Amino acid sequence: MERRKFLSGCFGATLLGAEAAPGFRFTDITQSSGIHFNHHSGAFGKKYLPETLGPGCAFIDYDNDGFQDILFIDGMDWPGHPHGGRHGSLRLYRNNRNGTFTDVTRQAGLDVELYGLGIAVGDYNNDGFTDIYVTTVGQNRLFRNTGKGRFVDVTRQSGLGGRRSFSTSSLWFDYDRDGYLDLFVCNYVRWSPEVDIFCSADGKQKSYCTPEAYHGTTCWLFRNRGDGTFEDVTASAGLFDSSSKSLGVAVLDYDNDNWLDLFVANDTQPNKLYRNQRNGTFQEVALRAGIAFSADGKARAGMGVDVADFDNSGRSSVVITNFDREMLALYRGSKNGEFKDLAPGSNLGPATLHSLGFGCFFFDADLDGNLDLLVVNGHIDDVVQRVTDTPYAQRPHLFLNGGSGKLHDVADRLGGGFANPKIGRGAAYGDIDNDGDLDVLITTNRGPAYLYRNDQLSGNRSVRFRLVGTKSNRSGIGALVRIFYGDLKGSRRVKSGSSYLSQSELPVTFGVGRHKVVDRAVIEWPSGRVEEFKNLVAGRAYIATEGKGIREGW
Amino acid sequence: MVKSPTLRLLVGLLVTLAAVAVYSWYTLRQLNGLRQLQTDTIDRNRRDSLQLLRMQNDLSQIGLALRDMASGGEPYGIAAYENELAGKRADLEDALKTEARLSPDNRSPQQQKELTNALRQFWQTTGETFAFAKAGQEKRAQQLAATTLPAQQSALASVVARLLFKNNEAEEQAAARVAIIYNRVGRNIYAFLAAMLVGIILTSLYLIDSIKRLFAEVESLSQQRRILAAKLITVQEEVLRSVSRELHDEFGQILTAVGAMLGRAERKGLPPDSPLRAELTEVRQITQETLEKMRALSQMLHPAVLDDYGLVKGLDWYTQLFQKQTGIETTLDVNGDIQRITGQAAIHCFRIVQEALNNAAKHAKTMRAEVSLDFGPDQLTAAVRDYGVGIVQDRKAREPGLGLVAMKERAELLRGSLSVEKALGGGTVVKLHLPLPQEEGQAYLTQQRQEAQTATHD
Repeated sequence: MERRKFLSGCFGATLLGAEAAPGFRFTDITQSSGIHFNHHSGAFGKKYLPETLGPGCAFIDYDNDGFQDILFIDGMDWPGHPHGGRHGSLRLYRNNRNGTFTDVTRQAGLDVELYGLGIAVGDYNNDGFTDIYVTTVGQNRLFRNTGKGRFVDVTRQSGLGGRRSFSTSSLWFDYDRDGYLDLFVCNYVRWSPEVDIFCSADGKQKSYCTPEAYHGTTCWLFRNRGDGTFEDVTASAGLFDSSSKSLGVAVLDYDNDNWLDLFVANDTQPNKLYRNQRNGTFQEVALRAGIAFSADGKARAGMGVDVADFDNSGRSSVVITNFDREMLALYRGSKNGEFKDLAPGSNLGPATLHSLGFGCFFFDADLDGNLDLLVVNGHIDDVVQRVTDTPYAQRPHLFLNGGSGKLHDVADRLGGGFANPKIGRGAAYGDIDNDGDLDVLITTNRGPAYLYRNDQLSGNRSVRFRLVGTKSNRSGIGALVRIFYGDLKGSRRVKSGSSYLSQSELPVTFGVGRHKVVDRAVIEWPSGRVEEFKNLVAGRAYIATEGKGIREGW
Repeated sequence: MVKSPTLRLLVGLLVTLAAVAVYSWYTLRQLNGLRQLQTDTIDRNRRDSLQLLRMQNDLSQIGLALRDMASGGEPYGIAAYENELAGKRADLEDALKTEARLSPDNRSPQQQKELTNALRQFWQTTGETFAFAKAGQEKRAQQLAATTLPAQQSALASVVARLLFKNNEAEEQAAARVAIIYNRVGRNIYAFLAAMLVGIILTSLYLIDSIKRLFAEVESLSQQRRILAAKLITVQEEVLRSVSRELHDEFGQILTAVGAMLGRAERKGLPPDSPLRAELTEVRQITQETLEKMRALSQMLHPAVLDDYGLVKGLDWYTQLFQKQTGIETTLDVNGDIQRITGQAAIHCFRIVQEALNNAAKHAKTMRAEVSLDFGPDQLTAAVRDYGVGIVQDRKAREPGLGLVAMKERAELLRGSLSVEKALGGGTVVKLHLPLPQEEGQAYLTQQRQEAQTATHD
């Protein structure tokens, strides 16, 4: 009897794992929602390195109407382009609150010329309106949100001007806990059209170089002085490192001391884990933490990165996307501060070995309380199809986490053409229709963007929190929300950065399955303040204002 | 007499086993040497080279950083590089420590010292550079980063490169030694295989030859035995025949003559009541009885009926006689196209049937016996079946009786075969299969007779 029960249990689990419907569906609403973004890389045969890297995307509620708007960033024609003249820009789509979007780029003042790559959003001046930082090849830009539906380029006034580079991902975080968001910017390599090197995959035609061809360059940390200006503290904070070739960055609290640390994914260079020493300086501990190299001691081609409490243990897990023939890395943190890569020993490794991953994030796609993992893939050069059997366009992965630690790629069972091969780059999540589940935005290199609406089929519910800092930064970035329901728990951090060149929405979403009540929610604000709220109702959204309690609404 | 090959084969086996043992020991020793060479020299060298490569990589990155420092491209000043170089130094020192543990035996203390000194000098200058930078003497620091440090860095890099080169050389030497060992082992294997092959061939040839000779010997013995048996049987038959003929022809004539003379004397005027007459009559009667007994004996020794009428009539006569003598009900059943069989074939066949019937009378405790003759197209089957206790079971445990041996010999003399089996329904059946002469039948029988005669006269 016992054995039969056990066996049927095993069978049941296998069937659930392999056959059960994912519990939600993706619907491609890109066209119907009025989004017409097509990436322009500026490529005209010279195979300039930046062409293959972009673009990023972001969810931002720029007009504070409680509905997530969408921001894209585009490339532009290179100097010397024979028919040049097409200038790139940001593209802002306002959410019409009815499932459609309107392109408001021009009205918002974001129709500017730049060769853009990445986006980070946060309210740097604590005026209640989310601002935008964009990374470019050249001069990065800071756009202040005026609160009247317009943005103003304050790059020069804020002291961020006069710095040309090849910047990739960036993020806002308050490393010194002074209540103002500071800015971390990844730089890739020292490249400009003048120093471009000839690389070839087939020995004849030029192809995109790997970063080994170019000298690395340091990332930047700009401290927010609180008066609308920034100072470069890269060197004094101990972050200066001219060998890094950084593409992805994420915040985490590696040592659980409530001071935010940084993880930087480097391409062909060891990854960096900067521990916040609480005195304005950082210590690089990636090697000691076992996260600098792959398990076999190789510096991989780190692209995107995300950090989350993936196993609801309260400790940070880190996902890093890598090149093809380098599996993705899923590092789980342990008590002694060392990370262990779970990918090689699980089905995650083989499943991602042949994917060249870029954007990636943890999110609870099916609202069952366990964070799932989305990864978009795509090669850097179409030449690869001619000289190897690796495809240029590659299918995305969506690994469902059933809570047992086993992950199943359900991408091809979600519908909406989600699993179709793409030259994926940026990826972000946000709840565009405020129905409690997380919709997905993907950008592709030299191709369209995709907006997938998440349609829940299982009746699972979520609890959403929008945080407003008072003593802490207004965006609440860095705040940790923990919930307890039944005998379950989970934690999410309000964060900027993560994924690749992209930013997901700032509100945090907890799936709670069929639970009706969340017994307890604890918010640890970046200021150090800890607040606890009881008996929240599943299926609702809450606004928590630091020091002023919580209220239902949006 | 052929000598037994067993001893020689045993010696050969011992020699082979000894050769295998010696060869195995030698090969294992070679392989052990190889393993030691590989783990001690090649693996260690390889791991050491990896550490040297790690150092070389660190040094080249330091070189890049130095170039940046000298060019002053970054807005942070030279002091900003202190962390980065400290990181590289930590890695370099870790690599150096591991490398020192692995460093090959052939490295001279001089080389090790060269490396340590070069490193010390480099870090000393680096320290000075950052000290200048922190003291605000950016220009001096930049000068050091542009001149002294790159020179020291390249000196260091060349020391590491030399060590790498030396490792590579050592590895090549080890590889050459490995190749020599492989060659030697390979040659040994070929030599061993060749020796084994020769050994196997020689042993096989010797075995084949021995077996051939043994078989020839057995064949010749068997031939001699057959000739001997044939001679014996033939001589026996000839003697019996000659005695039978003597009895019949000589003594029969004499006795017949004596009888006739006695009859005449009787009739020669002796009174009917003369006592002499009565005695004469008695003597004549005794003579007559003797003549009959002698004739019967003569028939028994060699039935003339065989010579005169052939096998079928001979057996017909004998079965009746047998029934009369033993009281066992005996029948003769003849089937097929009857052929006249005389001579050796007839006498042997007759003797076999006779012996079988005698056996039945002696051992089988039977009341009935059946003799059958089946003439097939090319073979004659003579069978004697009794309904007794069955001799097969009785005989199995013991040595076959002389009678049976003689029967088999006779069958073989005729190129036939003899079987003794348990009959269905109890009793024993003795079967003789005899090839029947075809066209060349007469020649065959003649030859048989001639053979027998030759044997007799030898």
